[in-house]
Amino acid sequence: MSASQSAVRSRAEAVQVSRTFDWMILFTVFTAVLGGYHIHYMLTGGDWDFWTDWKDRRLWVTVAPIVSITFPAAVQACLWYRYRLPFGAVVSVLALMLGEWINRYLNFWGWTYFPVNFCFPSNLIPGAIVLDVVLMLSSSLTATAVIGGLAYGLLFYPGNWPIIAPLHVPVEYNGMMMTLADLQGYHYVRTGTPEYIRMVEKGTLRTFGKDVAPVSAFFSGFVSIIIYFLWHFFGRWFSKTDFVDSSNV
Amino acid sequence: MKIIKDKVAKLSFVALLMSLTAAMFYTPTASAHGEKSQAAFMRMRTIHWFDLNWSKDTVAVNDTMTISGKFHVFAGWPETVDKPEVSFLNIGIPGPVFIRAGSWIGGQLVPRSVSLELGETYEFKVLLKARRPGDWHVHTMMNVQGGGPIIGPGKWVTVTGSMGSFVNNITTLTGETINLETYNLSNIYFWHAFWYALGLAWLAFWVKRPLFVPRHIAVSSGKADTLISAADKKVALGFAVATIAIVAGSMGTTNEKFPVTTPLQAGLLRGMQPIQMPESTVSVKVDDASYRVPGRAMQMTLTVTNNGDSAVRLGEFNTAGVRFLDPAVLQDETAYPDDLLAEEGLTVSDNSPLAPGETRTVEITASDAAWEVYRLADLIYDPDSRFAGLLFFFDAEGNRQMVMIDAPLIPSFI
Ligand SMILES: [Cu+2]
Repeated sequence: MSASQSAVRSRAEAVQVSRTFDWMILFTVFTAVLGGYHIHYMLTGGDWDFWTDWKDRRLWVTVAPIVSITFPAAVQACLWYRYRLPFGAVVSVLALMLGEWINRYLNFWGWTYFPVNFCFPSNLIPGAIVLDVVLMLSSSLTATAVIGGLAYGLLFYPGNWPIIAPLHVPVEYNGMMMTLADLQGYHYVRTGTPEYIRMVEKGTLRTFGKDVAPVSAFFSGFVSIIIYFLWHFFGRWFSKTDFVDSSNV
Repeated sequence: MKIIKDKVAKLSFVALLMSLTAAMFYTPTASAHGEKSQAAFMRMRTIHWFDLNWSKDTVAVNDTMTISGKFHVFAGWPETVDKPEVSFLNIGIPGPVFIRAGSWIGGQLVPRSVSLELGETYEFKVLLKARRPGDWHVHTMMNVQGGGPIIGPGKWVTVTGSMGSFVNNITTLTGETINLETYNLSNIYFWHAFWYALGLAWLAFWVKRPLFVPRHIAVSSGKADTLISAADKKVALGFAVATIAIVAGSMGTTNEKFPVTTPLQAGLLRGMQPIQMPESTVSVKVDDASYRVPGRAMQMTLTVTNNGDSAVRLGEFNTAGVRFLDPAVLQDETAYPDDLLAEEGLTVSDNSPLAPGETRTVEITASDAAWEVYRLADLIYDPDSRFAGLLFFFDAEGNRQMVMIDAPLIPSFI
């Protein structure tokens, strides 16, 4: 096949080829994001996402949105500005969560036997949907970062509460009070995760009494705005198609 | 065309492999067999475990066993390891093959981290409930912040039965009895499936139309605005409103269903009660100590003075969990792990009873394959070649006295 020949011969064939491309690109984006995002999230969010006894009202609420808005921002930048496709955040989060579920189910449960109700991933989908919709309706980087980023931070805790609330029921255990999540952490022995490395319920938000989750969520939302900007530009830069003039090479 | 197709297929395959690798990237630490690879000085000069007892060799799923004993926090704690100000009494098992049903230091439940004092001796107990059948090496273990895990002696325990029959029933403060092994599972699966489906629906709404090539052409030719219709915007708004409404609604119903919830409990536990060890009336001075590499034996010259009122004999030298006994004085009746027990490993040049007021200089040899097997001999390659251990003296009535020794060790290669 010479380079001057067209690859397709009719319009119908062109449509078909274009559609084949769609699926291939989508599949590639999905799996590549899954790999990169998953490693990134494990390294930054790590234990906060792995274990129920790390899912607290302060640090988990703060850390998880901040470190997870990264890839959605970058993929949005690519898909929206090059293709006007508003599903960058959702496709990233779906990829991440598929990877997480495979890992938690096969490795944490299948290989090491930690019960799934102790090591399931956090739910990031509500924030991702809103982030995509804000981008689509506003078509503005600033609006998406500010409104979408804030919403992403704010929706995280309530979006997970129906899943984790049952594990926050208190129990009296040998004369001490703890939540069922604490008890899971105590019962299901992790030799590599001693209790003291658990970063929960630490911080200086004491003046807010027992309503620290909304304050943490707001704080997380504000930082998410900044991270959104940052990763948006990573995405822009990464999806650049600059060609180098061959005479300069 | 075929070439491009092949290329994309190849790329997709690489991406798929990458993502699978990423998914397999992390498995929580399941192994507990670090004991031999841990630096010898860590095991000899930090926590000294003794009087250990594993209550069972074989235990059925759902049955319990205990590991109990004492540990002495070495006063000459090495400078290279952080002091045990924040420590956690752990258990060295390969993942949750047992659940830790309870753990106590000096009678106090220790589900959280504790602060330990150098030079003190503590009593501990760990209650384990068998969960997964198999042969497991069960170690005592202390995690020290800034120092890492300090692994103690391990013993093989067989768990019989089937994991499917394991139950972990807990009664909550709201009066419900639940099985923590499966509790909340269907709720987790339901919400994750629900949100995943909603995310997929949003994706499908876009993916059902031609995507990359035609849209890229439209965007490049300045017709980007035609790609989003008014109907699309309505659907998008619907998705956002539904998402927020479902989050708010499900949060409300959850709070109605679980009116009593508490935050996670955390924080350091202080004031662990050490045991009052009787003041030792035997004093020991290490004149010299050497390790003979070919003979796998440690030799010490000790000057022992008995300041008490009954005659004593040396029965045991214990270092890093390895026990060297003089069978004429002490025999093990606790079924201590074989590989850590040198029943006749202790030879004393003159082990006749040391009368009150008497001082005697004796040559002591502690020899056993354990020096090699447990890589304690590697001590001579440590930056600070010192050893430490516990000596146990006994009088005729069997009263025991514990003396800590700590001295430089000179290797001998011939
Ligand atoms: Cu072991």
